[in-house]
Amino acid sequence: MIAHLSAEQLSKYILGQPSALVARHVQHCPACRAELIQFRDALGEFRGAVRAWSEDRADKYQAGNYQEDTALASPAAVSGPWLGWASHQLPWALLIAVVCIIASFVFPRHPGENAPASDAVLLNQVDAQVSRTAPSSMEPLMRLVVEKQ
Amino acid sequence: MQLSATSELAASGLERHISMDVAALAEDFETLVRLYRPKVFRFALASLRDVDAAETVTQDCFLRAYQARERFRQDCSMHTWLMQIAVNLIRDHIRNRRFQFWRRARLTAKPVDVAGHALADRAQSPEAQALIQERVAAIWTAAERLPEKQRTVFLLRFVEEMDLLEIAVVTGMKEGTVKTHLFRALRAVRERIGETA
Repeated sequence: MIAHLSAEQLSKYILGQPSALVARHVQHCPACRAELIQFRDALGEFRGAVRAWSEDRADKYQAGNYQEDTALASPAAVSGPWLGWASHQLPWALLIAVVCIIASFVFPRHPGENAPASDAVLLNQVDAQVSRTAPSSMEPLMRLVVEKQ
Repeated sequence: MQLSATSELAASGLERHISMDVAALAEDFETLVRLYRPKVFRFALASLRDVDAAETVTQDCFLRAYQARERFRQDCSMHTWLMQIAVNLIRDHIRNRRFQFWRRARLTAKPVDVAGHALADRAQSPEAQALIQERVAAIWTAAERLPEKQRTVFLLRFVEEMDLLEIAVVTGMKEGTVKTHLFRALRAVRERIGETA
């Protein structure tokens, strides 16, 4: 003989799989019987509530979304997957775009900032090349000629 | 196992109507949608608690069933097959939703509120109604806190009234695993009811 039903024994009973011992105990124990009935009733009430809620929601949804409902009636016409993908990815794309915009302000790129200096150096080099009177390989000889004069 | 509808459909005389071969099923897909759509929607809604998401899952479920209708091997009932698709879609949806941190479920009412109206029609005393609402709310909260697999088997068993073998087919688990999840779910729910009592 068992004292009272354990949680597991009670669950087994609810699932319709009680052992003979448990079944006999429930017959003779008003406390366990009452607990079982209460639990079973609660689960039944929950089922009823969810079903009523679902019907209520479905009615309201269909009343406001008749187009979607007719689309379902002909599944070949449904173009849901791409739309579903787009609706999932769009917020991410927007988020990335916003981050890029913010980053462009926080880390500004100024490609022309150092340009004048480098341009000046380049121009000097070009001037030097252009103003030479002799090729660079002849420069030592030219220097000697200048020194003699 | 023969292609057959549930006992509810048998009672309504529609079982014979959908006990047909796959070709006929393809032709009569609209009937199928009409018969099973409320069940799929209900399960999706109870699992996701979001009307829009439940509607999307329901539509996707029938779209996939339509696309895969020729692969339906009739080794389980049509209801089981559709619920199998729905369970997979819901699981995918929950995984995707983890990354949608900005999205908020658009819920306007809980089953507790609707139960209140339904019970009011039965002319019960206000105390009895309040007690029932409290218990429904406790189970609703407990179900919400259950791990995904436990919640799925709990809803399939106690809302959809499927037996263990059907749940095993729908979820792809072994029957023993289903039983373990159900025991744990029942214990959590019972504890929750005990806390509110």
